[in-house]
Amino acid sequence: MPSASLVFQSLVLGVLLGGLYALLAAGLTLYFGVMRVVMIAHSAFLILAAYLAWFAHRETGVDPLLTLFVTVPLFFAAGVAMQRLLLTRLRPATLTMMSVLLTFAVALVIEGLLGYAFSGTQRRIRLGYSSVSIEFLGARVAVVKLIAFGMAALALLGLYLLMKHSRFGQALRATIQHRDAARLLGIDTDRIAGYGFGLGLATAAVGGTALALDTTIYPSLHWHWIGPLMAIIVVGGLGSVPGAAIAAMALGVLQSLLQLELSTTWAQTVFYVALFATLAVRPQGFFGGRLAQRF
Amino acid sequence: MTRTHRGQDRGQDRRQVGIAAGTLALVLAASACGSGSGSQDSADDPIVIGVSLPLTGDFSEPGKGVERGYKAWAKIVNDKGGLLGRKVELKILDDQSNADRVVSDYEQLMGRDEVDLLFGPFSTRLVVPSARVAEEYGMLFVEPAGAAPEVFEQGFKNLFYAAPAVADDHYNLLADHILAMPESERPKSVAYAAMDDPFAQGTAYGLKSKLEKGGIRTVADEVYPPNTTDFGSIAAKIADSKADMVVGGTQYQDGVNLIVALQQLDYQPKLAAFSTAPTEPEFAKAIGNKTEGILAPTGYTQKADYPSNTEFVEKYTEQFGKAPEEDEANAYTTGQVVAAAVEAAQCASQDPDCQSKLVEWLRGHQVETVVGPLKWDDKGRPQSAHMIQQWVGGEIQIVLPEAQKEADLIYPKPTW
Repeated sequence: MPSASLVFQSLVLGVLLGGLYALLAAGLTLYFGVMRVVMIAHSAFLILAAYLAWFAHRETGVDPLLTLFVTVPLFFAAGVAMQRLLLTRLRPATLTMMSVLLTFAVALVIEGLLGYAFSGTQRRIRLGYSSVSIEFLGARVAVVKLIAFGMAALALLGLYLLMKHSRFGQALRATIQHRDAARLLGIDTDRIAGYGFGLGLATAAVGGTALALDTTIYPSLHWHWIGPLMAIIVVGGLGSVPGAAIAAMALGVLQSLLQLELSTTWAQTVFYVALFATLAVRPQGFFGGRLAQRF
Repeated sequence: MTRTHRGQDRGQDRRQVGIAAGTLALVLAASACGSGSGSQDSADDPIVIGVSLPLTGDFSEPGKGVERGYKAWAKIVNDKGGLLGRKVELKILDDQSNADRVVSDYEQLMGRDEVDLLFGPFSTRLVVPSARVAEEYGMLFVEPAGAAPEVFEQGFKNLFYAAPAVADDHYNLLADHILAMPESERPKSVAYAAMDDPFAQGTAYGLKSKLEKGGIRTVADEVYPPNTTDFGSIAAKIADSKADMVVGGTQYQDGVNLIVALQQLDYQPKLAAFSTAPTEPEFAKAIGNKTEGILAPTGYTQKADYPSNTEFVEKYTEQFGKAPEEDEANAYTTGQVVAAAVEAAQCASQDPDCQSKLVEWLRGHQVETVVGPLKWDDKGRPQSAHMIQQWVGGEIQIVLPEAQKEADLIYPKPTW
């Protein structure tokens, strides 16, 4: 029987992990919500951002967080370009299925280029404060994990405010809810869809940087992430950002607590169990509306 | 096609030369021709040594290290005039870290290319299948990288591991040291974490079984898959166990990740030992220089004053611009072991008589190498011990055994 302090420590770790999952899954939800695109390459872009943060830190010694000033606009532009140049060429009737194949290829290209540029060696950002922690009600909270959690919270809050309170956000939500009706109201849905995709990739830039603060990265790491992230957005309800956030938090905490009694390997299977259970019992997801009726 | 043809031609030539030399040997007095026949008859015919290595794929980093070690060995030998007066030539194939590939590579090397001798590949996963092929052909198989127990449980008769000790025995000197401490001082509880990998797990569990026999309790025992990147939960369990000592059966990155996660939880054990990671050159920087007191077993140190090691470090550094690490040293050791057998048996060819002479000689003799004198049991397990190193004063230094030590073992470990 684990002690109370261990349970609390695991809970804290689970919440921090869940916050990171929420940030990483937010982009996936956007793509699906806006365009019905299943973006297999999302986690490859996460790893790409992580590598850029690591590389900038190694070459110049700058804090990896500063790379965000470059990677966020860069990824936004890459997202817009990818949507306009590649995804719009797919036929609407088979968009969802073909997008899986197309983005699968993009993921392979990114993985290959990373391997070519940086080799398959595992890398880790060397920060002076990597092992510093603070005490919180008897549990230890690592500063790097706290920073990553803070980045996730800020990015998700920013995303929420943008979606709820900006004209662009309203146009994006309208495009998500009913593309034809939005177009009738004079919204340039193609342009909005491009920006939506760019926004999704911009979250990958933030997420990848947060990830790089406290994990080891290697080119094929994205395959390890795409499964849990897909599980999160299915459990949360495809296309729902709040649903994904709640599902991410729940699964992160569950994984961390299950680890107490089970081994690392078994604790990771919680995502797949949740995925199967959702598809069997409530295919529209537990926390969001069916196909993003709500944001 | 041409290569095959030339290979066969060369094989035939050599056989004829061999017959001629044999006849000559019978006619002349035994003492006069023993050393003469080999060098005189085939001085322009190199000894070809076949190797398959993971130069791409999962094990490419250590694979390339092994390749450098083999190349350094070949260069040093050739600069001195070769083996038995013949130049040595390496024929290296890339198996892409693939166990099927390694089998066909060795079959090609022996069957089609008719190499004279073999060197082993890297990692247990590739050593076991390739050793099976070598066994079928009756070839001597000295390998630099199969330390896991399963390598020696296959009944191989021609296999020798060219390093001081198998994985289970890496921590032997540390186990002896801890068990010799007065009861009141020594650690009473230990937490173990090991990667699900035969080598990494072997090191941790070798120590675990010895300490448990000595009455030291195991309070945590975690196994994690090789692709684990988040060590928070594992570290939380270890920290919560408040074990006096933590032992990691680790490779490089997981070792670093685990140590950082333990430090983040402010867990302060009296002893901390991790395999592989602490002996790597980037280790201190990777964990922000919070290394003081961390222990690690190692089979090789550039500082060891065995005569051949001084030469190896100097010439290797000349050739590659940096000092050799453990992978390079184990490969070099493989070369030294095979060379010693060849010189003792005065032959280097696929001829079954020659190969069995090489194997027999190694069974009964000790070889001086860059990792110290080596000898083997009947399963090919080396019978020496790994040294134990500890981070003392910002540098990793040998603390065990007594005879080799550069610093005293610090106990309890300072806080990290």
